[in-house]
Amino acid sequence: MSPPRSFDSVAGRVADLAPVFREPLDSPYEISNELYAALRHVLHDVGGQIDLPLPFREKPEEQWEMDTYVTCECLGWRGAWNSEERRRAENDLGATLYFGLPYYARWATVAAKVLINKGLITPDELTAKIDDVRARLEAGA
Amino acid sequence: MTQYQYGIGDRVTVKDGTTLFHTRTQAFTRGKTGTVVEFRPEWVIPEDEAWGRDDAERGGRYEPFYVVRFRQIDLWPNYTGFDVDTLETEVSEHWLEPAKENQ
Amino acid sequence: MTQNDSDHGHDHDHGAHDPIQASDQLSEFEVLERAVRELAIEKGLFSEEDHRRFSEWAESIGPSGGSRLVAKAWTDPDFKERLLADGTEACKEVGIDWLDPTGVGTPSDYTYFYVLENTPEVHNVIVCTLCSCYPRPVLGMSPDWYRTPNYRRRLVRWPREVLAEFGLHFGPDVEVRVHDSNQKSRFMVMPMRPEGTEDWTEEQLAAIITRDTMIGVALPQADWTASGPPSEVKANA
Repeated sequence: MSPPRSFDSVAGRVADLAPVFREPLDSPYEISNELYAALRHVLHDVGGQIDLPLPFREKPEEQWEMDTYVTCECLGWRGAWNSEERRRAENDLGATLYFGLPYYARWATVAAKVLINKGLITPDELTAKIDDVRARLEAGA
Repeated sequence: MTQYQYGIGDRVTVKDGTTLFHTRTQAFTRGKTGTVVEFRPEWVIPEDEAWGRDDAERGGRYEPFYVVRFRQIDLWPNYTGFDVDTLETEVSEHWLEPAKENQ
Repeated sequence: MTQNDSDHGHDHDHGAHDPIQASDQLSEFEVLERAVRELAIEKGLFSEEDHRRFSEWAESIGPSGGSRLVAKAWTDPDFKERLLADGTEACKEVGIDWLDPTGVGTPSDYTYFYVLENTPEVHNVIVCTLCSCYPRPVLGMSPDWYRTPNYRRRLVRWPREVLAEFGLHFGPDVEVRVHDSNQKSRFMVMPMRPEGTEDWTEEQLAAIITRDTMIGVALPQADWTASGPPSEVKANA
């Protein structure tokens, strides 16, 4: 008889193996009102949706995460945006990014996007700066 | 001086208005009836704040907010807890209407 | 790239509460944040000094603030009354000012703080289903699990199941009251004082008032402090 931890890891893999019936949504001409309602559901409004018990994990903030939090709050403090704009921007990322990005990666992403939307930075300024920062940090590391 | 349309103890129903793009009125409260248990200050509504209209100067509309308490058995079909359980959340005035008499 | 284990959640041989480990690679997220910050400073959107000051404040906050509030309320009935009547104002008595560090409060925490008193009849527990609103000035940064869609989905609808996963069980005579902090209010739970602590000092009491007891997913235990587990796990009453 396998010890409990091995059981979970195998059972988990088994649960992940499942047949998939794909029904691609690629600009269909007609969809039901029900599907439309689901598509326009505001993403962050997840209360009461069905989900499975998962271990509740701890994760101390890494430095970049604290820096992200502080950068976002400083942008709010000095008036570039407010927190509700940030939260709406996170929804506007769409489901894949909203649920796929780690929590603070969402914050950093929307900070960049909203600054561009507001004309405070340009997208090429941002990407040039990203390349520059990466080179510097890689050299320094 | 904030004018509150509803009073403590009033039974109120959360409107099930169409929602597009953003909301802070949760789907699980829509059409549900609860009791006003506390007042909150007038705050800029999220429908304005989320688009940058976050104070009066920028065209943000202020509304009284309320703490509404729901019985969990009224919120969820086949609630798996006990009848005593409750949930409280905050709702702005324009999202509320007086509960129907028989609710 | 920083990864947590949720994309291979079943593979790893982790205990239920093992912390998520960061990788050693330079994270693209770190690069992105740095780029945004440098541009923002160059454009005058905020100053380096702003970032430093806010960072200092962010490093200074933690659950000990909330612990001090609860310990003081347990030992001083008049303070408890003031705390329940006006949480924001009462915080000043333990050196916490909800207007810090900007002078007008933080953009994400606002200044409307309410303390929820647990009684033998009512057990309070907090969530923010829409995002992860949390009373940072009194509890510090939120736990990772508190921010997950999983917790946000489940606590409002299956609170007793979620509490059971944290080791708490209540009978049908206890009202489990979930607070979904969906607007500007920020909440903290004042747990009940456990038996056997009658002659303890405020400091001794604060040590058993852990972060999780102030979210509502744990109860203070006379032998479980913020820095260590009890010698023997006790079931709650």
